Amino acid sequence: MKAERRFAYLMMAPACLFLLLLVAYPVLLLVYNSFFDVPLIDPSRREFIGLGNYIDVLQSSRVRESAGRTLRYTAFALSFEMLFGFGAALIFSALGRRSKWHRTIFTLPLMIPPIVAGLLWRFLLAQNTGLVNNFLAAIGIIDSPSDIAWLSDPAIVLYAVALPDIWITTSFVALIVYAGLQNIPQDQIEAAKIDGASAIRRFWHITLPTLRPVIAVVLIIRGVDAAKTFDLIWIQTQGGPRFQSEVLSMNIYQRMVRYGDLGEASASATLFTIVMVIIAVIAYKKIWSPDNEK
Amino acid sequence: MRNNAFSSRQIGLSLAALAIVVVYALPYIYLVSTSLKPASQVLQIPPSFWPQTVTLENYTRILGTATVPGSFANSVIVALTSTFLALVLAVPAAYGASFFRVRLSIYFMMFALITRMVPTVSLGVPLFTILKDVGLLDTHLGLILAHTTISLPLAVWLMSAFFESIPRELEEAARMDGCNRFQSFFLVVLPLVSSGMAIAALFCFIASWNEFLFALLLTADQAKTTPIVIAEFRTAYGLDWGPMTALATLYSLPVILITLLLQKQIIGGLTFGAVKG
Repeated sequence: MKAERRFAYLMMAPACLFLLLLVAYPVLLLVYNSFFDVPLIDPSRREFIGLGNYIDVLQSSRVRESAGRTLRYTAFALSFEMLFGFGAALIFSALGRRSKWHRTIFTLPLMIPPIVAGLLWRFLLAQNTGLVNNFLAAIGIIDSPSDIAWLSDPAIVLYAVALPDIWITTSFVALIVYAGLQNIPQDQIEAAKIDGASAIRRFWHITLPTLRPVIAVVLIIRGVDAAKTFDLIWIQTQGGPRFQSEVLSMNIYQRMVRYGDLGEASASATLFTIVMVIIAVIAYKKIWSPDNEK
Repeated sequence: MRNNAFSSRQIGLSLAALAIVVVYALPYIYLVSTSLKPASQVLQIPPSFWPQTVTLENYTRILGTATVPGSFANSVIVALTSTFLALVLAVPAAYGASFFRVRLSIYFMMFALITRMVPTVSLGVPLFTILKDVGLLDTHLGLILAHTTISLPLAVWLMSAFFESIPRELEEAARMDGCNRFQSFFLVVLPLVSSGMAIAALFCFIASWNEFLFALLLTADQAKTTPIVIAEFRTAYGLDWGPMTALATLYSLPVILITLLLQKQIIGGLTFGAVKG
């Protein structure tokens, strides 16, 4: 038993060491830096200012607004991904094995680099020359292809930049939910059918509860990824117009690279990390383990 | 069941599925189609979906630039090496954590999971100062290490799902036959998860190939990867959509082709942890 334990630890040690050195240490350094004022010109003349950076960050309306946008972006992208992903999975599942080709095509967007997806949608959403506006004009929803300024209208830009996100990740949701649907015991569904339960009741009382762990995984993975989003929005708008599509990742990046403020960038990055880990842990506990099989 | 295979409900479902897939594939087809248009047609009003004349001029222009071929080489080097590093570290670790029920393994798995929750930018900011101090900014090695922080936890979780599907008796039988633990790992268990390792490798490769923010923060010109070049196109050359779409196609097509070839295994790998876990 002792030899077995020693062997198992030996196998884990290199990976552990790597994660300690390149994840745990940087995160600790991030927290450490967040308590200092670090001058751009001479970083060695740093000065301890306690919670000063945190106060500055929390008082900054630009940071607060970008945090709010991150939330709205995540909620918007996630709800449409779940809606479309679930819909597609249910249709594919009803088709059974004949949906093989559909599912094959559905894996492709998963592999498209987000930077390419963002670029492509920027092109599709362009005024005048873009395919989307021309299509909407052709079927009479808008008068002219210049009517909707998807990426420069402050009122809609945050939701417009989420479209490529929804495009590339709906398939992730669909494929995982599809796999989950295949694990649902058919005899239960048949029994409910015989008892006269409607399709909606069967979905609500049998399908959804069985899919609970799958839904939890999808929500957590996709929620965390959407909240982290940087590249997709960056390539489309760089956070504009006038910061209206600037999310938290981008705000921290700008604070670090454009304004060279390591201290404040570290403070908001620390807060961001803490919130993400807490939300993920709560989501994990609430959705996944109340039935606790493990 | 067979007799209602052609019922109207089934036909409706088939049409719905077809519609979803067509709508889904169109944007990408349009990207490829645009990349084959001559400059005069790219920004034509109204746009045409298909090119009226097909040309490869966008591709020759892209490949003739100073930055593109080098950035492609950087992307390949970084993605291959970080995938290799992630697997070398993650495969034994996942084996140790999932095959033997030791107390610390659950903490290790949690650690790997929490790593995934840390925003890229939160890791990128301190990594920037660390790599700067040790002189690894704008080097392949620096970016490889950064990308491995993403792919290592991914590979650990994928591989532990594969190891859990292997009966412990096999390993015990191998040791009865005189193998030590290392031999039974390398000679008996590893061959059984080789297809799992291929999937983990593919996922790690794609994670690095598609990664943007670390590359933006940690490289300048020596080690910059193609996603950065794609993003820089807009500022450096204005909105030159023809070559941009050509580069985007060139960069995404290899991965898409691999995906088509390995389709079945990928869906398996993707859904393994989520459904069985």
